[in-house]
Amino acid sequence: MMTDPSSPVAPLLSVRNLTVVAQSEGVSRTILHDISFDLKPRQILSVIGESGSGKTVLARALVGWMAPQLKITTGEILFKGRDLIRDKSFASGLAGREIAYIGGNPAGALDPTMTVGAQLVEKLRAVRPEISGKDAQAKAIRLLEAVKIPSAASRFHEYPFQYSGGMMQRAMIVDALISDPALLIADNITQPLDVTVAAQILKLMRELNEEFSTAILFICSSLPVACDAGNEVMVLHAGEVVERQASSDLVAEPQHGYTRALITELPTLWANGKDGRDDRQDRNRQAIMSVRGVAKFYETRGKAGKAVVQAVRNVEFDVFPGDNFGIVGESGCGKSSLMRLLTGLERPDAGSIIFEGEDVGTASPARLRQLRRRFQLVLQDPFGSLPPQSSIGDIVEEPLKIHGIGTKKERQDRARAALNEVGLGDRFYDLLPTGLSAGQRQRLQVARAMVLEPRLLIMDETLSALDQTEQGKLLDLFSRLQAQHGFTYIFISHDLTMVRQVCSRIAVMYLGETVEVAPNERMFFDPGHPYTRALLSAAPTLEERRYRPEDCLLEGEPPSPIDLPPGCAFAGRCPHAFDRCYRENPALVSRGDQALAACFLLNATSTAKATADA
Amino acid sequence: MFIARFLARRLLQGALIVFLVSAVIFTLLRVVPGDPVRLMAGGMAPEALIEQIAEEMGLRDPIYQQFGRYVWGIVQGDLGQSFVRPASGAAVGGASFDDNTRSERAEVWDLIAQTAPMTVQLALLSMLFALIIAVPIGVWGGLRPGRFPDKLALYLSSIFVSLPNFWLGIVLALLLSVKLKLLPAIGYGGFAYTILPAIVLAIEIAPFIIRTLTVSVAGVMRENFIDIAAVRGLTRNQIIFRHALRNSSVPLLNLLGVQFSMLLGGVLVIEFIFDYPGLGLLTINAVMQRDFPLIQGIAIVTAAAFVLINIVVDLCATAIDPRLEY
Repeated sequence: MMTDPSSPVAPLLSVRNLTVVAQSEGVSRTILHDISFDLKPRQILSVIGESGSGKTVLARALVGWMAPQLKITTGEILFKGRDLIRDKSFASGLAGREIAYIGGNPAGALDPTMTVGAQLVEKLRAVRPEISGKDAQAKAIRLLEAVKIPSAASRFHEYPFQYSGGMMQRAMIVDALISDPALLIADNITQPLDVTVAAQILKLMRELNEEFSTAILFICSSLPVACDAGNEVMVLHAGEVVERQASSDLVAEPQHGYTRALITELPTLWANGKDGRDDRQDRNRQAIMSVRGVAKFYETRGKAGKAVVQAVRNVEFDVFPGDNFGIVGESGCGKSSLMRLLTGLERPDAGSIIFEGEDVGTASPARLRQLRRRFQLVLQDPFGSLPPQSSIGDIVEEPLKIHGIGTKKERQDRARAALNEVGLGDRFYDLLPTGLSAGQRQRLQVARAMVLEPRLLIMDETLSALDQTEQGKLLDLFSRLQAQHGFTYIFISHDLTMVRQVCSRIAVMYLGETVEVAPNERMFFDPGHPYTRALLSAAPTLEERRYRPEDCLLEGEPPSPIDLPPGCAFAGRCPHAFDRCYRENPALVSRGDQALAACFLLNATSTAKATADA
Repeated sequence: MFIARFLARRLLQGALIVFLVSAVIFTLLRVVPGDPVRLMAGGMAPEALIEQIAEEMGLRDPIYQQFGRYVWGIVQGDLGQSFVRPASGAAVGGASFDDNTRSERAEVWDLIAQTAPMTVQLALLSMLFALIIAVPIGVWGGLRPGRFPDKLALYLSSIFVSLPNFWLGIVLALLLSVKLKLLPAIGYGGFAYTILPAIVLAIEIAPFIIRTLTVSVAGVMRENFIDIAAVRGLTRNQIIFRHALRNSSVPLLNLLGVQFSMLLGGVLVIEFIFDYPGLGLLTINAVMQRDFPLIQGIAIVTAAAFVLINIVVDLCATAIDPRLEY
């Protein structure tokens, strides 16, 4: 109804030949080149582009929020027929009132020292002074309810730091919509969110579009999300619009080479059949790492006195030599705490972590250091995890120095060899890491970890900071290194498509527990836990979904690990929960063929089957 | 509930701090050379009399016994009596050993209670002057980092911080009192006598406030929520006065707490130059006269004031930024 090209509705927003140039130190670089498009009232238009394609600059140019080095050289931005670039006072009168903006970083978007409610009211009254404070408050609470913030009236009086990331993004949607704008510019709003929360936000945005008849320019970097969100998709590549089509047509018949490449490169979860990297290892040998009933608690002191955060509650899995073991889960599920336990950075409060026959959790500090020669960690943040003042060669040599291996000459040779293996040639040896790209930095981190010739490499979100192409290159590197050195990998990740491509065996974590451990294809084609199905239903993909979000996930977010309800932690969001789930916590049980899951439904069905068989 | 627990914890910590401060001061005063009895009784007093007085006053007992007696007194609200000062109010005690006014020595508590309000008045006024000078300059500098206002803030604070306060005090007294006859300078005879020393102190404190404000305002202005506020439709005045200043006031508050405590405890030079009858002048005289009970009393009172000011500052900071409760 909104995309009918023959409709005579005048466009709400009309961008004509927009060119933006960045000027720094006398060099000018074109960021956006000759962008033209129209957006009709009530329409949702997705804009997709990889990082560096200029999509954020476009979003900010539309709301008049430009970095000082950026200049609009030609073109016009017509809102209801008036040019925002020339008519500055018209533009600033529209800001927040007719044109609303939501950014990708909800965490820092509101003043931390004022309550969310007070800031919503402040914003509404700044752009519409005729509304009384009382009415503004009533409207804010009504909208907070509309975006499904639980107990909105009391949450209204809470501070931004008391909101989770997903709730903060909902609050920012309220902030944008509270003034009934005609146009909403959403810049990468789902990127920092977990898949299940992002899926909810997308659904919410489409509902709001119908209810409040706001036109939306939805900017993102993921093709599946863009197609899911908008009626039409506009593809931005190197600062130019390369094509614009209705979402379904774009995937079916991409016109431009770039779009075609984008679609073919897109990794799939199910489309290529069942075969994943499902190479099974012999499970009768000794496991390289064996985790049993591991738990970790942290004490926090809050307003209400002391509280115990149950970061990791009950984790169990075995990793066998040659495995690519994946650990997936959303933020706050205890992945990072688990990583700290696996690497001996912290000691578990219960359970054991056996690495090649020795317990990492109880080893003496000296023994732990010796053990670390054989298991190494590669971290997520490519920028914070490398010392900026050491040369690249020194960074790679340092582990050898710490463990007192070889002479100076030998260490240098080994460091050079490791650097060459990860694709950083000799010329990098004496450089500082400052000039390296994110991908090169992750290669350097891998070199630093593998120079000790470990047996096990733990990758904590190592690929999350990289774009699709760079991820692919590093994954190739990992499998080459595995073939050459016989490494075993543990990938800790929230990215299901990456895990589907790479891992042979996958553990799913929810609120500090492993709720399912299964081989790759079993986990994607026959998951045993309802949470795994929910994760799969929310994963961004263009494919026909095996699991539909409507069937798999209730509204809401994971409960806080501080006051966990008794029973199964997922019960509150599970569409299949029954009485027992609220009383007892299910343990991992075998579903045959090396797959395990923790759910009472399995017992129920297997008992039902057993009775039927009998 | 939160406030009650917070106060209980902080006051207990404070009591411990004050106790430790008094223990250290008490011990140090008794191990430094110089016999207070000799000063009290006068240079001509016979040795036997000095010993007798010392015995009577308990000054020859072991230090821990003396300290025990002293702490017991404090708990009962008694800071002891000055060794030197007579209750009659004369600044210096009897010069000879048979001066009969010696038996009525002044209560330390009274001496402090007479002078402390003067110092509080001076501290508050100089704080006010410092804020009037520093807040506009500091905020302006913070809003335009790297540009003229920022440089002005930097140069001005460099000049202020390198002016020695005794020199500035004397020059201002010469200029404003002697030449222009605008303000009284020496002694105390009414509120006007506080203004000149307060100006000197304000110029001493202002650079710290300017620096803290420029840095914190500039930091807050780089925050995401300030950038986004304009896109959300807030006006520049709302952004600066409601959000930027509020967020940058927490570091300022902490600084003011420290500065105010220092003003209460140690404006020795300024009070001495202007002969301003506050705690500072009392301290100087007490030290010069080896008046142990008075020095201890001042130390304990200022330590307690320090503790209380810090508690108030932390409460205010929490009221501004609720994240600090955690």
